[in-house]
Amino acid sequence: MREGDSSGGSGTPERPIQAGGEEIAALAGTLESILFVADRPVPADRLAEVTGVEAQEVRSAIVLLQSRAGGLVVQSVAGGYQLGTRPEHAEAVRLFLQREHAEPLSRGALETLAIVAYRQPVTRAEIEQIRGVSSDWHVERLLDRRLIRVVGRRQTVGRPVLFGTTETFLRYFGLNDLSGLPAMGVKGVQSLLEPLG
Amino acid sequence: MTDPDPQETSDENRPRVEEPDQKRSGHPARTPASGYSVRVPGFEGPLDLLLTLAHQGKVDLSTIPLADLSRQFTERMRNSMDLTEATEALWMLAALVEMKAKLLLPKAPPPEALPLPEEGGMPETVEEKVAEYRAFKEAASALRALEDEQKRIFTRSARPTEPELPLEGLTVEDLFAAFGLVLERARRQQAAEVADEPVRVADRKAAILRALARSGEGLEFSDLFPLRVTVVFVVVTFLALLELVGEHKVRLRQESAFSPIFVWAAG
Repeated sequence: MREGDSSGGSGTPERPIQAGGEEIAALAGTLESILFVADRPVPADRLAEVTGVEAQEVRSAIVLLQSRAGGLVVQSVAGGYQLGTRPEHAEAVRLFLQREHAEPLSRGALETLAIVAYRQPVTRAEIEQIRGVSSDWHVERLLDRRLIRVVGRRQTVGRPVLFGTTETFLRYFGLNDLSGLPAMGVKGVQSLLEPLG
Repeated sequence: MTDPDPQETSDENRPRVEEPDQKRSGHPARTPASGYSVRVPGFEGPLDLLLTLAHQGKVDLSTIPLADLSRQFTERMRNSMDLTEATEALWMLAALVEMKAKLLLPKAPPPEALPLPEEGGMPETVEEKVAEYRAFKEAASALRALEDEQKRIFTRSARPTEPELPLEGLTVEDLFAAFGLVLERARRQQAAEVADEPVRVADRKAAILRALARSGEGLEFSDLFPLRVTVVFVVVTFLALLELVGEHKVRLRQESAFSPIFVWAAG
């Protein structure tokens, strides 16, 4: 269970993968402690590394944690696990933190962001073509908030800049990866989407 | 949306165009959670909706008095100045002025018809374009739901702010201590010292900059060192990092004594 118990390091197939219920419960406690002090999502690999178990056991223990009732939830976000307060307690927590309601994204910004998220990599011109209005202002704001970033340039006339989403984007919306984006409603449009990921 | 009208909630994009004589009918201008609302003869609602409708030709801009809009804007900003809202509103007002100016000017010969190379997937017909835009609007509201949900979950955020100096909150000794931990990890995990590919500082420097660009924000120091690599790889990567710091291409920051060290691309 603990670190440093095996000398082999990588790949220990002789070790039983399936740990008992008690072991998993103990591991769940350890993982919860780690996630408590982490200030960003922690990948399963990293958790496995510091606890000296296989990633599969980490995932079992996380499932156990997620099934527990309590004030906290374990989310799969941006390729890692993250401990957060349960949404039902949001008002009390917000009052305690004396935090204002965070300003949501404006509708235009959200539309622009949706286009970048589903069509990435995408140029300014393509965004504007879909929205029908100039979206420069929203693009700049989204860049400022690090929800999108420049991912390259298209090799066409003018070499326009291409935009894509960031890890911050995944965390902002509580997504594990881009495949977690809500499905687009219109059938005809779905086929136009470039493959994601 | 807190609109009592059930039809409204089903399609928020429905134009809220009203007759001029209704404009003082008592109900106040809607102020949604985001956006700047206006009320002029012929239109009442969020400014960005007016812009969208005008662009789609659903509102005749020639009947909308832009002078009223700009007067409302200056009055509103005199009372309370929210810089974000002001900037966005100003930008949209400018777009409206530009559109109206074009509307009033004599028609130029048929515009642009920009050839779009290699975009096979672009929709051709108006119907397809409308369907496409509508799909993205739906996607945007799906994202809004996720945003609402995630805003109710509080995490130990403390995402460090971007440093302005090469090293912030840590000394060179702290940096070497962190390096020592990574090195020890590499020593423990290494199955055998196999001299595989030669590792070059220049390559590792490029790899670090690529990883930083990919994340779009800071990376944790230990993230720069993949698991199960050779000691040489770790040492060369650390040398590469030191060179990047020396060249002012990356900056490091540690929030407090035992928090992780973060690496940022500079400028």
